[in-house]
Amino acid sequence: MKFSEFFKEKIPVYAVECSVWLLMLMFLSAFHVSIQLMIIFSILTGISEIGLTLWEFFRKKIYYCELLHHTEELKQKYLVSEIMEEPEFLEGKIFYSVLKQTSRAMTEEISAYRRENAEFREFIELWVHEVKLPISSLQLMLHNHPNEITAQAQEQLRKVNDYTDTVLYYARSEIAEKDYLIKPISLKKIVGSVLRKNREDLILHEISLHVHDLEKEVNTDGKWIEYILTQLISNSLKYTDKEKEIPEISIYAEETSDTVKLVFRDNGIGISENDLPYIFEKSFTGTNGHTSAKSTGMGLYITERLCRKLGHQISCRSEVGKFTEFQILFQKNDFFSVAKK
Amino acid sequence: MKNKILIIEDDAVLRQELSLLLENAGYETLCLTDFHDVSGQMKRSRAELVLLDINLPEMNGEMILQDFRKTHNTPVIMLTSRNTELDELLSMSYGADDYITKPYHPTILLLRISAVLKRMAKFSNFRNYHQLQADLTKGTLKNGDAEQILTKNEMIIFQLLLDHQGEIVTRDELMTALWDNDEFVNDNALSVNISRLRSKLTECGLPNAIETRKKQGYLLR
Repeated sequence: MKFSEFFKEKIPVYAVECSVWLLMLMFLSAFHVSIQLMIIFSILTGISEIGLTLWEFFRKKIYYCELLHHTEELKQKYLVSEIMEEPEFLEGKIFYSVLKQTSRAMTEEISAYRRENAEFREFIELWVHEVKLPISSLQLMLHNHPNEITAQAQEQLRKVNDYTDTVLYYARSEIAEKDYLIKPISLKKIVGSVLRKNREDLILHEISLHVHDLEKEVNTDGKWIEYILTQLISNSLKYTDKEKEIPEISIYAEETSDTVKLVFRDNGIGISENDLPYIFEKSFTGTNGHTSAKSTGMGLYITERLCRKLGHQISCRSEVGKFTEFQILFQKNDFFSVAKK
Repeated sequence: MKNKILIIEDDAVLRQELSLLLENAGYETLCLTDFHDVSGQMKRSRAELVLLDINLPEMNGEMILQDFRKTHNTPVIMLTSRNTELDELLSMSYGADDYITKPYHPTILLLRISAVLKRMAKFSNFRNYHQLQADLTKGTLKNGDAEQILTKNEMIIFQLLLDHQGEIVTRDELMTALWDNDEFVNDNALSVNISRLRSKLTECGLPNAIETRKKQGYLLR
């Protein structure tokens, strides 16, 4: 709030006051009042007018500057009315009460949505757990009563299971609720478990796996990171390069003083330079998605969301016809290492 | 002697298939159908291993486990469709020996069961096979003074075949065992490992120890 702006607003008031003052002087001179008295009168009104203006200006400036400052600093700007005190001047009071009311209405609205969202998510979780029962039963049935279609049926069932997991993790990644548990986990253990779960697919595609240097601990949620790695694997399997003799996937980790980088690299068809910046966007399918496999464009989107929620950075490098490489960067949490000591 | 396994699972179809899977694998099974006082029934069952579902009608599996662990240390494997990190951590802290999420891979489930049972029985590191002695920790096969060193993969394969001596072991089962030990080999590598193991056994004086059964698997005589 600048004084010039404040002054501009006040111009009509001053114009009226000036004309009243001139009229006054005219009256006084008509009654032959002495010049000295008129000067004293003018100075007094002038001083009191300037004083009043400055007083009003500073009173408002202090309040509004604080308001602007808080709004700027706050991450959740809608909370500004919570930390401001009620002003002492009338217009401020009215605005303050309106601001309070709108923010309260907004909070109610938001919490209603939150509740609905949470309920929806709970339902999804419940549904996924329920659907896992018949999937388990079917899987055991197929194993117990083998026949000529067992292998194909198992593959289809695996797909059903993967799709239900996608629904579950989509719900988990979209809805702002912390239900992950971060603890130190060995990368070797996670990668091993993911590879085992996807064994049939990896063998079916005759992938040559190079898994090394994973004897490192990272702070993460084991189940989420397993889902993330499963997505990367299924992505690689979708886009293997038929021209290459041996399809390969390498998984290894590199450690620096404050980060651990997990590298996931395949020698598949690669991602074109034009598509690369958009691969983590929702529903993006790109040229690869159109030309070869079926793609919903959700896998990598969910992957990135989950990584972000866990505080890991995921990035991708690729060269068409050569390789695709995903890197997940885990920060070594200072708190954890301090707590360990 | 057959190991007795108690199955606690409230879904009837799943329970039935699970029991069939375990019986086919040579275990004796016992199924719970009444879910009152589960931990009491667990204690009375004298089973050597318990498969416990977490979502049970009367009481939560974790609570049952907690109560059971006060008096018994029979191995318990938790089976669940809840798959958050917290669920797993809770179960393990209540004293579960393993935690497997649904849908479980049948072969992996069987491997885990046999691993837990082996841990309990404290298997010796030495196994005899005809005139050979296998040292599982050192990874060697001894025939008197002659010694053959097996690689980790060869040892895993040999051990699994030896555990099922006289029975057919499928390539899938061998593959599962290798992958369960962090050896992510492909089909070709498995064949190579088996032929190497064969030639090592031949050098130890057992030329036709591993028999190939077309489209079924392998058999250790």
